[in-house]
Amino acid sequence: MDLSPEHVRAFARTLGLDLTGDDLAEVTHRLNGLLDALGPLGELPLDSVEPVPWTPDPEGLR
Amino acid sequence: MDARSRGPPVSASIADDLAFQSAAQLAALVRDKHLSPVELVRLYLDRIDYLDGRLRAYITVCGDRALEAARRAETAVMRGEPLGPLHGVPFAVKDQFDVRGLPTTMGSRILEHAEAMDDATVVARLTAAGGILLGKLNLTEFALGGTVQFPFGQPRNPWNLDHDPGGSSAGSGIAVAAALCAVALGEDTGGSVRSPAAFCGTVGLRPTWGRISRAGCFPLSWSMDAAGPLSRTVEDSALLLGLMAGRDPRDRLTSQRAVPDYRAGLDGEVRGLTVGVIRELTSGEDTDPEMRQPVLEAAQLLDKRGAHVEEISLPLLPHAGAVFMALADSDGAGLHLGWLRRRPGDYDQGTRRRLLTGALLPAAARHQAELARALIRAQVLAALERHQVLLCPTSPRPAPPIAQTAAPITSKAEVAARFFTRRSYTTPASLAGVPALAVPGGFSASGLPLSVQVIGRPFDEATILQVGHAWERATDWHRRRPELRGAR
Repeated sequence: MDLSPEHVRAFARTLGLDLTGDDLAEVTHRLNGLLDALGPLGELPLDSVEPVPWTPDPEGLR
Repeated sequence: MDARSRGPPVSASIADDLAFQSAAQLAALVRDKHLSPVELVRLYLDRIDYLDGRLRAYITVCGDRALEAARRAETAVMRGEPLGPLHGVPFAVKDQFDVRGLPTTMGSRILEHAEAMDDATVVARLTAAGGILLGKLNLTEFALGGTVQFPFGQPRNPWNLDHDPGGSSAGSGIAVAAALCAVALGEDTGGSVRSPAAFCGTVGLRPTWGRISRAGCFPLSWSMDAAGPLSRTVEDSALLLGLMAGRDPRDRLTSQRAVPDYRAGLDGEVRGLTVGVIRELTSGEDTDPEMRQPVLEAAQLLDKRGAHVEEISLPLLPHAGAVFMALADSDGAGLHLGWLRRRPGDYDQGTRRRLLTGALLPAAARHQAELARALIRAQVLAALERHQVLLCPTSPRPAPPIAQTAAPITSKAEVAARFFTRRSYTTPASLAGVPALAVPGGFSASGLPLSVQVIGRPFDEATILQVGHAWERATDWHRRRPELRGAR
């Protein structure tokens, strides 16, 4: 289910952000688009991922 | 190569010839007393004066300061003093890097007067090597991409002024392609060096995360930000990488690994190299056939020269663009939250809407993106265990018209096409923390640059530079110059 502009405005208020007019309409589209794109990630084997920090050079860092 | 456009003709003016020389060639001319650093700085300042009113590569030009440095450089040459590898060579930096006494605007009115107290480490290192800073370069606001109204002027692609120069290091790509400096510095979080390099027809290098200091560089996403050079030749990128890389006490995340002589290693030898051509990004339906062609030609060339080339599948990579935006944009939103509350009207509308979206992303979705990043990284690193380099296009298509990139978003369906698909070509290297090089790959039928991307193992910039150099030697794309019609 898509977020409505009213949902987005309410979320924004919890962060102290005031969304109105064209900003509200476009941010709603952007947020729904991003959530749609992230949706299929739920089908990946994310449970197998160990949530550990990673760097290309763990020994090379102080 | 014959099937594609031959590209615009090469200009013949002597001043142009000098301006378009590589940094390595210019340094040699200065060192051998064939070229005065003062004349060279004047040449670039004249070109900026003549061309940049339309191209808008620069935000700040420090002409007096550059001429003063050039006079000192000339005196050092005449006195026979020891000279650095970049002695007398004019360079410019994205206005994301601090230069003492100048504002670091980040392409935003919010920081228009934010004067830096010290040089970024990379600026200090290039200056210590003899480089002369010409000025600070335009960028999409706060290095995010998607700026609609550029506060310091609309940057334009030198190959066609109606087209996007790429971002976020837009000015760096323009300045190198139009010879408004010898070399430039950009910053690449999700492709911000490689995209302008691809759209403007230059070389662009994103080094391994942690290879180059970010001290004095305004951040976007701490786990992906990486400074990198844009240049007209692969040799120049190797030269700059060698000068900038290495441990910096001011950036705790720089690696202590020794820095090789990247330039000395460029001998064109690729025999025995293992190369994987990424199917999803090269042959997928999102990739314009014109962008695919130079990648296939590069693969053929490497095969002929004795490399072992095969097509490989990395099925998670098409998710990379969305995963990247979930992470980088929410990182950015965290940095900007105070200004978003207090000064929302001082942002460009494209920047503001992108940051607001990042701010409102649910934590669970961000967490899922973090886990997906780990899977993407594992897939890239596993491929790089089997192959020393991976090839794919730097972008799915050539530079789009500026009007297309500035249009408002009117549906959620537009979001994927506008933002995620193209980012899936550059963000796999960013998410994995590995180095990647964009090298010129010819021109589209409409005369816009094409680009080949070479991705390498962590800290093995030497091999991707070697591959890029071999391709560059077999082609003449890097010698083409934009006619700059409409800019003069």
